[in-house]
Amino acid sequence: MSGGMWAEKYRPRTLDEIADQAEIVSRMKNFVKDRNLPHLLLVGPAGVGKTTSILCLAHDLYGPGYQNFILELNASDERGIDVIREKVKNFARTAAMASEVPFKILILDEADSLTSAAQHALRRTMEIYTRTCRFCLIGNYSESIIDPIQSRCSVFRFSPLPEQETKDWLRNMAEREGVKLLPEGLDAVYEASQGDLRKATNLLQAAAATKGGEVDDVVIYSVLGKVSPERVREMIKLSLRGDFLEAREILRGLLIDEGLAAEDILRMLYSELMRMDMPEEWKVRLSDSVGEVDFRLTQGSRPEIQLSTLLAKLAMAGRENVGR
Amino acid sequence: MGAEDQPWSSRFRPKRTAEVAGNREAIQELRRWLQSWEKGVPKERAAFIYGPPGVGKTASVQALAADMGFDLLEVNASDYRTRTRLEELVGRAATQSVTVFGRRRLILFDEMEGISGREDLGGIAAIADIIKNTRSPIVLIATSVGEENEEKFRPLRDRSLIIEYKPIPTLEVYGRLASIAKEMRIDASEEALEALAVRSEGDVRSAINDLESLARGKGKVTVGDVESLGRRDRQEYTPDVIRAIFSSRNLREARRAVSQSYVGHEGLFDWIYENLPLILDDPGDLHDGLEALARADVYDRRARSSNYRLQKYMFNMMSGGVSFSRRRSEGLGLRRQILATTARLGFPQSAFTLHEAAEGLLVKPVRYLGDDWGRVNGAMRGLGASWVRGGNAWSIPYLRPPQLRWRYIRTYQSRLRLRSVSEKVATRCLVSRKEAVSEVIPLMRVMFKGSREMGDGIAGWLDLDEDEAAWLRG
Repeated sequence: MSGGMWAEKYRPRTLDEIADQAEIVSRMKNFVKDRNLPHLLLVGPAGVGKTTSILCLAHDLYGPGYQNFILELNASDERGIDVIREKVKNFARTAAMASEVPFKILILDEADSLTSAAQHALRRTMEIYTRTCRFCLIGNYSESIIDPIQSRCSVFRFSPLPEQETKDWLRNMAEREGVKLLPEGLDAVYEASQGDLRKATNLLQAAAATKGGEVDDVVIYSVLGKVSPERVREMIKLSLRGDFLEAREILRGLLIDEGLAAEDILRMLYSELMRMDMPEEWKVRLSDSVGEVDFRLTQGSRPEIQLSTLLAKLAMAGRENVGR
Repeated sequence: MGAEDQPWSSRFRPKRTAEVAGNREAIQELRRWLQSWEKGVPKERAAFIYGPPGVGKTASVQALAADMGFDLLEVNASDYRTRTRLEELVGRAATQSVTVFGRRRLILFDEMEGISGREDLGGIAAIADIIKNTRSPIVLIATSVGEENEEKFRPLRDRSLIIEYKPIPTLEVYGRLASIAKEMRIDASEEALEALAVRSEGDVRSAINDLESLARGKGKVTVGDVESLGRRDRQEYTPDVIRAIFSSRNLREARRAVSQSYVGHEGLFDWIYENLPLILDDPGDLHDGLEALARADVYDRRARSSNYRLQKYMFNMMSGGVSFSRRRSEGLGLRRQILATTARLGFPQSAFTLHEAAEGLLVKPVRYLGDDWGRVNGAMRGLGASWVRGGNAWSIPYLRPPQLRWRYIRTYQSRLRLRSVSEKVATRCLVSRKEAVSEVIPLMRVMFKGSREMGDGIAGWLDLDEDEAAWLRG
């Protein structure tokens, strides 16, 4: 078992190695054959191969030294559009030397996290450097990308990996890593990851570490119990029971000790609530409250105070026997 | 003067910008502006920096000059007296963009607040003229100034890029103190350094001076020493404020309680938030009270970003809004929390008696606890208790100081690791830092805890240092 994260170790390197998304892969292969490509917009859920496929495309286009011709940025990590533009400018200013391909590729991950004003600025940048640089924007939803950018890009829609493919992939990996993956363990991994291959792979690797050799559903659930969504579930349960102080303790642990962003906690809280068994009317009410908090966070409000209002709301819901 | 004899605030003065604590964005902005001079004279020929004392205004300019290879010409308060003196000093420097050795020049006017009175106004006009014609970048520095100075500096500010420096976050002050203590081999408890950091209110220089004055000669600093530094901690007044807010009968009284508070409203937010669930033990009341506080928070942000007149709504919500949410609550929150805590430790309700005393609730064990004492004491301390030796009981204050800030400080090292590990994971696993924190690292910790071999493999692959790997192992 060699070191590193399996999710990287088994990440496909060339378009040929990508087992699924057949239609997307074949369109990309045509770009390679042409030695040319338009600006790209890759959209779809997490862990379905958006970043992987553009890296494979770059590999096939430029050869093994492809890293010299691409620049990867993550919009959510950069400090504002000006910083991004500055980096793009430096990268795109020069043509791709020592390659038969006359342009470089700029990959901007989480482009949908940019405000629309920032996207308009980006559009301008795209136009200026079109001659020497192609842009590949990546995001979860195409709706959050402004129309002028969408119309300049060739759009690729990725769908979640089908169950069979995901399971084949995991089984294959387990075999090569010498891990005995039992069918009920495999089901549990798929259930928890829902076609997100990165999450599935990390989960499997974590399970293999806890119980070298054999992975069943019990191990998978115990691993899941140690990561954040499970703590969020516990926080909801305590709130519903009216135990606000205990619930707030968990919230603090997530925010401070684990360093999670308030937005991430909110996202997990929301998806847990929507999955819970409760009257539809309460779902709408709680969704409205979560939405209000989400909005206030974008305005720079104090995260813990805002999030804890939701814990108090849940305590009210609990009093009416909701969600028990 | 050798390094040992220098005051620590100069000895540990940052030499490079990477060593300057806090204000990263402001420094970045300044750097970009200096870089823009490479392409010719920019629209704004001067940068005007203002901010409270001890936050690294001068140090960052000196460090930037060193980083970027500028020759720094510093001008201080005493030089501002007359136009002739100023022109003598900087006139030539400003009109030539490089020194005789071909180095670029940066002119720094420090301590601008030192310009005072009518006779110095000539100095300001002279500086304004120098800025108009300069071919070298000019930086002006002033400590945060009142309205009268605002008017005085207008001719300069109008021509300058304005950059604000903010107080250094307590955490970073703590980090700085900790590294100095380590280097000077001072035996200082974490709590003592925390207390110094909190006390400094974002002024690193004063914190370092305090540390030095306590440690010089004896090499040891305790919390008691820090307390001996005097200046009553303003937070002492706060429980009274909270009590006044909750006992007020009308909005006027509630607002008066808030406006008379000695802590700024920043601190009041934390105090109210911490104690709200103890006072409002009815879920409906708690819900309304928290919502009022959250609305106050929203007005606070609006006031900051658009107009300060919006602050009055914030004060209404955090005083009356919170206070009038108390309808059905009986104020038993603290009692319930104590009982829940002892129940969790496996004691029946009858094992302790609760008495109300002036300073707080007294929790008295009914019989000798023996070996269990340590366990109970730990849990009680978590509720803010202290053991009263003579009374053979724990005393738990009715109102608790905010835990938030302390908790941030206590987990400082851990969050430092989280930050560095998340950067490495983001680069290597092609995810954002946020995703690294929320999706990858939690599972990675399971891997590190579960298998030493796998952990070592990943650590090598990610190029983690031993501290980072140990942090992941937990």
